Order: sequence, then structure tokens, then C-alpha cells
Amino acid sequence: MSAPHPNLTLFPRGLSAGARLLIYLLISIAVITADTRFHALDRFRAGVNVLLYPMQTLIQTPELTYDRVTAFFVKQAQLERENNALRLSFIQYSAAMQRYRNLQLENQRLRTLLGAQQRTPLHTRLAEILAVPRDPYQLKAIVNLGSQQHIQPGQAVIDEAGLLGQVTRVYPYSSEITLLTNKDQSVPVLIQRTGQRAIMFGTGINDTVEIRYLPHNTDVRTGDLLVTSGIDGVYPSGLTVARVNQIDLSGSRAFAHIECKPVAAVDRNRQVLIIDAAIPAPAPTKTEKH
Amino acid sequence: MQLSHSGTVIAGSLLVALAFNLLPWSVNWLWLRPDFLLLVTLYWVIYQPSRIGMGTAWWLGLLVDLTDGGILGQHALAYAMSVFVLLLLQRRMFNFPPWQQASHIVGLLLIEQSVCVLIATFVGDAFHTLQYFAAIVTGAICWIPLWSILHRLRTPETAEAQ
Repeated sequence: MSAPHPNLTLFPRGLSAGARLLIYLLISIAVITADTRFHALDRFRAGVNVLLYPMQTLIQTPELTYDRVTAFFVKQAQLERENNALRLSFIQYSAAMQRYRNLQLENQRLRTLLGAQQRTPLHTRLAEILAVPRDPYQLKAIVNLGSQQHIQPGQAVIDEAGLLGQVTRVYPYSSEITLLTNKDQSVPVLIQRTGQRAIMFGTGINDTVEIRYLPHNTDVRTGDLLVTSGIDGVYPSGLTVARVNQIDLSGSRAFAHIECKPVAAVDRNRQVLIIDAAIPAPAPTKTEKH
Repeated sequence: MQLSHSGTVIAGSLLVALAFNLLPWSVNWLWLRPDFLLLVTLYWVIYQPSRIGMGTAWWLGLLVDLTDGGILGQHALAYAMSVFVLLLLQRRMFNFPPWQQASHIVGLLLIEQSVCVLIATFVGDAFHTLQYFAAIVTGAICWIPLWSILHRLRTPETAEAQ
């Protein structure tokens, strides 16, 4: 080093701070443009994410160890209580399951009679959330499955209650999920009670989604359940999405303003399910039923 | 170099700060999460301006963008901008006690977040609530404990005693 003490160089040579800032400003603008307009840096992104993956898994270890230790020291009584409750719910579910199987068979038979498309059962894979972006307006999450585990962009992500979002970027060992509430996310839905089709949009606000472009005279009530309609060929049909929370029919708006609350715990999950099966897109030449 | 030394301390602290940034928080509290990486970067710019400057800050910001999956270059520019302002204040900040530094840190964090919002707006994102700026307050609150931890790592007496 030429300088005797780095803090004592009174007249540092080289570019001034302002000039350097200008250079970084120009580079940044170039990078932002390349990324948002041309998506030219996706490969670079994937590469760095591979390098970051070990770190992200390492960060999880203290919490996982804590979970494991606390799980080890569970009280016997608590285990017994939980076990009883689970057994009870299992009995209830198995009764429902028997009926469900019957209904499924019956439905399949009726569908073949009608010549309609068969519904394929869903295959899901459990993934764990690795990280959540710091920016609260991103509404995304990083999970620990990637293209090495044959995850593809576009796959739907659910939790035990309902639809959570969609895989939007896939890196070799991790992938990025855009949550339902993200403002760039939209889902074709069906109001379960009436069968009315609609499109649901994220608002960018946590725990709120909205339905746009429905006229004022639409039959919607608060508490109505919204399920995926499956007509986009992205989301399988019949997944629970949200419940109507608030309806504003004031005449000052061109359309009804319908606010909904997602059913899935969009912000509280550690584990999520990624739906695997390729969803057969509905036949393009569908005869209109009237 | 009597005051500090090891690039390993700097690199290690930055790595730990990045790890803190990556921790999965509940979304309910996410808006309160301070940007640890920026705070640690600012600390090193105050005390080691010859080692950590605008260039490092720019790359660290790019790393944040990569981990967040956001607009590439957004945080990079914001970090560089806030470090630029800090470099103008560096001689003064160097002699301030930590609580007085914290009052300046508020402004620097505000610059960073404003630049982020500005870029997001240019790209087409909508800005929703002022809640976003709550992280500035938590960041400033975190400054003093952070300062004392890093100060202990930096000063040689305690480092040798360890």
C-alpha cells in the first residue's frame, strides 16, 4: 500500500465521489433496463442463486434444530391428546373419503357419458420456504425445490387450505413463488355458489385480493367461496382460492368492487405443496352449451 | 494500520448481515424488518472508507436484488446513492457518538428507500402505503446495538483479548 494510513489520505487521487456516483447510476440504469425490458440477465440470476443456495439452507439450520429439539421434548400427555384428536379426525375423514371415492367414480362415469374431459388427480410435492424477500411489496417466497427436482415455471402452489400462488422463476436448486396477493398475479376463478366466472387480481396488499370487471348486477354475496375455474390451463380447477369479504356497489365505479380474503395462509406457511401433474388444457374447440 | 485490519471481520459481518436479511420472517412483521446489510455497510463506510465504498455497496445491493428476485439494479443504485451521501458526511460521522450517528442514519435509510420506490415506480410498480418507511425507524433503533457489536469486533484491544 502506498498510503501510510488509509484514514489519513487527505487528498485521495482518482475520480471524485460525484463522478463515481454518475458511473454507478449509468450502470444501474443499464442493468435495470436489461433486466426489466429484455430479461437478459436471467441466467446470471440463476447462477448466483445456485451459489446462494447453501447459505439459505444454512440459515435454516438453527430454526430446524430448535424445532427438532422442542419436538423431542413434547409431553406424553400432549402427544396423547394430539393423537386422539388426529384419530377422531381420521375417522371422520375416512367416512367422507368413502363417499368421495364413490362420487369420483360416479362423476367419471357421467363425464364419459357426456363426452367431457376427464379430471386427472393432482400430484403434489412438499416444498419448504427458504426465504422471504425483505421488500414487503414483493409478496414472493423462495422454496427449496428447483429445476433439478423438475419444477417448472407456471406450476400452481397450494397449502392445506387453498391456492397460494404460482412458481414464477426456477433456479437449479430453488424456485421463486409469486403469492396470490402479488399485484402482478391474477387467477381465473368461479363463484362456487352461482358458477359465475371472474378474474381475481392481487392487490399488492397482504391478505387482500379483488375481483375486477364484474357488473353491478352480478349475484355476489359476502362469504361466497371462490374456486379456480381451470379455464386458463394453468391452475387445476376446483382449488379453493378466497372468500368474498367486502362488496362495494357504489355507482361511482364502472364495475363492482369486490374485495376477497385468500383462504390459504398466504403469509404464515413454512411448508407448501407444489402441484406436479401437467394440467390438460381444455379442448380449444369446445361446443357451446346453451 | 492500528485501528482495524482484517478484511475477514468486514466480510464476515457483511455475510452475517446478509444472512439476517434472508431469514424467513412472518409477512405480518416484514415491514418492520430493518435492512441489516445496509446498516453494516454504512458502518464500514464510516470507519473503513478506503475499503468499503460505493463500489462494494453497489455490488451488495445487486446481491440483495438477486436474493429478493426483484428488479435487478434497484437496490444496487439505492445502496450506492446512500453510501455516496454518507461519503460526503464521512469525516463528521467518524467523530460522532453512535446516537448522533443514528439520527443521520435515518436520513441515509430514507434516501435508500426513496430511491427504491422511485425505481419501482419507473418500472411500473405502484406504491401503496407509508408503512414501507417503518423499516427506517427500526433500522435506526438497531444502529446502536449494531454499532457496539461491530465496534467491539473492530477495536484491537478486545479483539486481542478474545
